[in-house]
Amino acid sequence: MVNWWIFSDSFLITILAYIVVSISLNLEAGFTGVPNFGKHLFVFLGAFAAQGIGVRIAAWLYQVVNPEAASQALKEVGRLVPGAHWSSIVEAAADTGANRIIVNSYLKPFVVENLAVEIALLFIVLGVTILLAMIFGLLASYAALRLREEYLAILLLSFSELMVMVVFYQTESLNGGNKGLWAITFTHNPIRFALIGSAVLAVLAFIYAERLANSPMGRAMRAVRDDEIAASVFGRDIASIRLKAIIAASVLAALAGFFYTQNNASATAITFNRVIWTFLPWAMIILGGMANNKGAVIGTIVFLIGKRIFEYYQEPIGKLLHIQAELVGSMLPNILIGILILLVLYLRPQGIIPEHMSKTIEFSKLAEEVVGKENAREGSSAQREED
Amino acid sequence: MAILPGITYTLSSLAYAAAIGLLSMGLTLTYLTTRIPNFAHATIGMIGSIVMLLLIDRVFYGSQSWLIYLLGPLAGGVAAAAFSVLMYRAILKPLADRGNSIIGLMIATLAVDIILLNILTLILNVVPGENIPKLIGANIIGFQPKIRVAGVVVDSYTIILPVAALVLATVFHLFLTRTSFGVAMRATIENPDLASAMGVNVNLVYMVSWAFSGFLAGAAGALMAFAFKGVDPAVSALVIVTVFAGSIVGGLTSIYWGLIGGVLVGLAEKLGTTIINNMYRAFLVPSLGLPNISLVNYEKVMSLGLVIIVLLYAPQGLAGVDWESILRRIKRARGGE
Amino acid sequence: MSVVVKAEKVNAGYGRFHIIFDVDVEARRGEILVIVGPNGSGKSTLLKTIFGLTRIYSGRILFEERDITREPPHVRAKLGIAYLPQTGNIFTELSVKENLKMACYGLEASVAEERVREVLEFFPFLWYKLSSKAKTLSGGQRQLLAMAMALIRRPKLLMFDEPTAGLAPKAAKEVVEKILWLREELGKTIIWVEQNARLALEKGDNAILMVSGRVAYRGPARELLADRELGRKYLGVKG
Repeated sequence: MVNWWIFSDSFLITILAYIVVSISLNLEAGFTGVPNFGKHLFVFLGAFAAQGIGVRIAAWLYQVVNPEAASQALKEVGRLVPGAHWSSIVEAAADTGANRIIVNSYLKPFVVENLAVEIALLFIVLGVTILLAMIFGLLASYAALRLREEYLAILLLSFSELMVMVVFYQTESLNGGNKGLWAITFTHNPIRFALIGSAVLAVLAFIYAERLANSPMGRAMRAVRDDEIAASVFGRDIASIRLKAIIAASVLAALAGFFYTQNNASATAITFNRVIWTFLPWAMIILGGMANNKGAVIGTIVFLIGKRIFEYYQEPIGKLLHIQAELVGSMLPNILIGILILLVLYLRPQGIIPEHMSKTIEFSKLAEEVVGKENAREGSSAQREED
Repeated sequence: MAILPGITYTLSSLAYAAAIGLLSMGLTLTYLTTRIPNFAHATIGMIGSIVMLLLIDRVFYGSQSWLIYLLGPLAGGVAAAAFSVLMYRAILKPLADRGNSIIGLMIATLAVDIILLNILTLILNVVPGENIPKLIGANIIGFQPKIRVAGVVVDSYTIILPVAALVLATVFHLFLTRTSFGVAMRATIENPDLASAMGVNVNLVYMVSWAFSGFLAGAAGALMAFAFKGVDPAVSALVIVTVFAGSIVGGLTSIYWGLIGGVLVGLAEKLGTTIINNMYRAFLVPSLGLPNISLVNYEKVMSLGLVIIVLLYAPQGLAGVDWESILRRIKRARGGE
Repeated sequence: MSVVVKAEKVNAGYGRFHIIFDVDVEARRGEILVIVGPNGSGKSTLLKTIFGLTRIYSGRILFEERDITREPPHVRAKLGIAYLPQTGNIFTELSVKENLKMACYGLEASVAEERVREVLEFFPFLWYKLSSKAKTLSGGQRQLLAMAMALIRRPKLLMFDEPTAGLAPKAAKEVVEKILWLREELGKTIIWVEQNARLALEKGDNAILMVSGRVAYRGPARELLADRELGRKYLGVKG
């Protein structure tokens, strides 16, 4: 479909997925002040739903609907993995060859050719994605309501690192471990499905984030983020909004991971590491300006195009610098991204497009708007007493 | 099946724990002085590993000299300290002065981590080895001096690392208590305003704290180079999680508790996981019919579990526990008997 | 008597929070100037402003006729101003000896030794506490240690921020006696912010009453104490 200069389908899908993740990170970090340094786990959950879980459910359905074909498949796989049996098909599938045969030659055709199965499976996988994201989002918000921001950041980073690098990466029976697993994809043209799906998701995410940001609650959240007095006044009201924002952000990130995996058709936990799906989205929202949805989108696009151009011209750049082209593609962009972030933090701590001031209002007005005049009076007198 | 691991494994666990302890101690120190949680800390330690690798490749190849244990940590520590100070002075302090929040500074340390990690990988890929053909992923365990303990040949670095940790911690303790600059450092940690009112150059104290932190990391990294099954800077991505776990268990309020927290978490990860795994396979698998899988890959679950317990139930960490009253209670209980 | 410190039409606060307005203050050599006023009236902020810990929007501060409005705190400390905040005036995690060592920071070793010996004579109880951590001291002892640390630097002006707050009556009495002794024996100039207005006004020479960041009364301390209306209104002093 799209194939011009640096632009291709998969690049567009990557951009859209990152837009969703950036908006979602912005919801947490920019608006509610939750420094989610473990975004990569949430993105990976969508991929896991499509492979670790989706493959299992599809395999089970296949055996129920079509037991003969299932035993045929088992025989074929048996040559690669002696003693494999259907109930542990995913464990057996940790052998890459066997996994490819089962998923690509048997399960995918089965899913695509039965509309009812396909729709049911799509709903199940999306449901699992959302459910997993909500569970982990709840865990994150449990910590978020109790910890100081630097402790929270450390905890979220460590937790996500643990889940992705240890639980998912080192456990072959969960999702293929370090060999990865082919995922269940949908429709005859999964790339188009991924493109359309992630585009719709990106638009919905943007609208949701904008509406939240400009609602009184959104402004209250920003006040809480910036002002401890406001936080103490609004404390309770804000807790539930924060919870909502974290869960919404988690679901968005996981869905982005789901569509992204539709394009790749397979996933390995290690590719969802903290550089690629946590640090880069942070870089993008810092570039675009915290607490600014348009900024997050623009930052993401500018950033990814810049990075892609670099990878696209890695050969000539490598020749110019006398380094192997593959190192140019893998190492130099990361170094440059790091430097870019430091520069942005130094030159414009508020990002390329600063936080929209006109939409925020005075603290006292805000207080009236959100919690009524009683609390407002308390809030401003608390401010005055600050001696 | 034996429940307790063998001597070689126990020693290597102790060495790992000592290295994590040194890293957690340094991380706690810079957090105490400048309030910056440094996500690049483990990669700074990798500088020490790479210095060690280069020393072995260029200088000590084939000699198996014990001198490597003096020169390696020293050179690695100095290189890491230099980078650490540079990172603080040239990057973090200007960013803090420009009004970046603590989150902004954390992002900055992540950015430095990525830059450093890639530069180190690039160096190992581009710089040719003289004696070790491929430096990236080079396994240097065979180049350490050999030693026998109780008739078994053990890795000598596993003896050296805990000793080095004790020596470094003692030296640092003496510095903090016996020199006036050390006292000034402790004073600054407690109350920088008052310390500056006493004429202490607080900025110098901060820089020295970053230098110490870097030195401890580099020295630990140099000795740990033997433990890696191939020196690869990417190892730091997992090590940093354990280091933060150690610091948080320690409480991030005292460097000594940082050291102890790091050692405990390191031991829990290695020895703890192995003992649990052996018990699981010896008792639970046969009696309850649980799946016969190895749990040793899940060592990081141990450290993270400790972090979660500490953060949610004792946010001050071990440093915040009222040890005196516990001791008193124990004494009283004994007296009552 | 010459003027030691003088603030002229000072406006100051923290960041955007403007707290004291057009304040004029002066303290003469060897006097005890008491500053009283209700909670949040800007008493503590005034002390911090004189020591350079706030943002000064306008006005000037003179110390021995030298303009120090723009000088940072450590320079003011060197010139001879000591500021003893209510809390955080000693290093609780260090031993008493280390605290005194910190107070000597930057002094030559021989000078430092002599000065420490001198203050130990003034505060003999410290002899027995030298190796204990400062956090084991009682509230009153902490104030005295802070005073000892300030004296090591031989200041001309000592500013106390509520030195008796939270102390038992006996300890408070001891601290107050020591403050009076500083003036009587060593001839120091003292600015004393106190919540317990009656006590301070009885002991002080001159007084300032601050209300809402402005000076509401200025004059001899005993007259303020005798002024029933002001006393009742702002100080909780019963006539």
